[in-house]
Amino acid sequence: MRRLLAILLLLCLVAPARPASQEVVLVVSADSPLQELDSVSVRKLFLGLPVLIKGSPLRPLRNRSDPVLDEIFLQQIVAMSQPNYDRQILIGVNRQGWLRPTEYGRSSDLVAALQADPYAVSFMWERDVAHNPRIRIIRVLWSD
Amino acid sequence: MRISYLLLAWTLLCSPLARGDPWQYELLLMPSAQAAGTFNRQAPVTEIVDEVVQVDTLFTVQRGPFKLFGEYLISDHEHDLERFQLGWQVTEDTVIWLGRYHQPTSVWNHDHHHGQYLQTSITRPFLDEWEDLGGILPQHFTGILVESGHKAFGSWRLRTAIAGGLTPIITPEGLEPFDLVHPDSDHHQVGFQARASLHPGEFTESGFGLLVATDELPAIGLTAPPIPGLDHADLKVLGAFGIYAANNWKVHATWYHVDTHLNSPTASVHGAFGVGYVEAERRLPHELTAFLRWEGSDNASDVAYLKLFPMFVRQRNVIGLRWDFLSRQALTLQLSDTNTLAGHFSDIRLQWSAAFL
Repeated sequence: MRRLLAILLLLCLVAPARPASQEVVLVVSADSPLQELDSVSVRKLFLGLPVLIKGSPLRPLRNRSDPVLDEIFLQQIVAMSQPNYDRQILIGVNRQGWLRPTEYGRSSDLVAALQADPYAVSFMWERDVAHNPRIRIIRVLWSD
Repeated sequence: MRISYLLLAWTLLCSPLARGDPWQYELLLMPSAQAAGTFNRQAPVTEIVDEVVQVDTLFTVQRGPFKLFGEYLISDHEHDLERFQLGWQVTEDTVIWLGRYHQPTSVWNHDHHHGQYLQTSITRPFLDEWEDLGGILPQHFTGILVESGHKAFGSWRLRTAIAGGLTPIITPEGLEPFDLVHPDSDHHQVGFQARASLHPGEFTESGFGLLVATDELPAIGLTAPPIPGLDHADLKVLGAFGIYAANNWKVHATWYHVDTHLNSPTASVHGAFGVGYVEAERRLPHELTAFLRWEGSDNASDVAYLKLFPMFVRQRNVIGLRWDFLSRQALTLQLSDTNTLAGHFSDIRLQWSAAFL
């Protein structure tokens, strides 16, 4: 019995720790006038539809720095496949001259663009935001 | 020319109001190439062109809630500034446009415009055909267009579009809209259009609606008018439409009732006809989409106004298959069987279309 307890204790010690829960968050610049945004407005924003704050349009920045983020974007934010999203963007440009979200492949570029524009809105891993005082979290979009 | 000055003044007025916002722009190119062959030909007039190579160019320049939006079509047969609009996004759901626009009572044209890639079939229903391709209803106006959306009946959405602008004129070549690039001195009259539709959600295309339009079309230079001394035609359009869009299916139906008056200094000739279509599209495996369209009309042969349009399609059946073989590139094969007021013909078409953003 003692040997069994020792083995269990050893297993607990050597087993890899469960990774902390991951979250994707909606973010803006710290000096953004945006305080909250519901999920319908988030979807509208990233489909290219106009979303205004105090009469000025918000500018969506699509984070393409991580393939997992891309999947979460399609499943949780715009709720459609990449081909359907692509088509919706084309339809928006053709019918209304809507602008598609600007895409960023590197996190550092995205953070710089976000900090420079108080009307920019993007999404990223919560762990990438935690210690940046110039970025503010608006809401959690997804968590595992 | 007065309108060009008005647009310039609007731009200057908007710029200070958007101070602090960055300039943003978008450019979309939609090229296409099409070949058509006609057979079983018993109609004196069939198609205007058998091959078309074209590039539809859309551009947007935006600053804050103001934008300049245009569509320029270049083909081996024409080049034209199809849309040129200055817009003010008043609220998230309301935009006011000033300039040359596609009239909102044509649901097909308002959804697809000139880009071939975004419509499944190669040809559009004849009732929505462009003026320079023999179309019977005016499509391009220069004036003001207000588009809006509101919540209605819980989660439903009410979308509206109201417009008023300079109408095309009737010429020996068909309807001729006001040209912003080369404005003419002809006396264009004013037409008004309105559309209202209900949709079960914010993001769905499915819905149904009503539309109404009234237009006065001056007649200029006709050598053989349907009534002697034709001065102008008054059109009143009343219509209904419905769209069902699911994952793999899309069905679109439209019907117009058109009331016409041909007016000369001494007489007014009345006529009324109906015209409409049903199109069904089915997505299939391997990026294929099959489509089928029926176009029909009612009482068309008795209407003097339609004598102005020798290519008017009384009835047409269309069947085809589209293959999206690459991202943003498609090949489409289409067969049609057409009855005009003067005869019958069939045609086969093959098209490559693409979009580059």
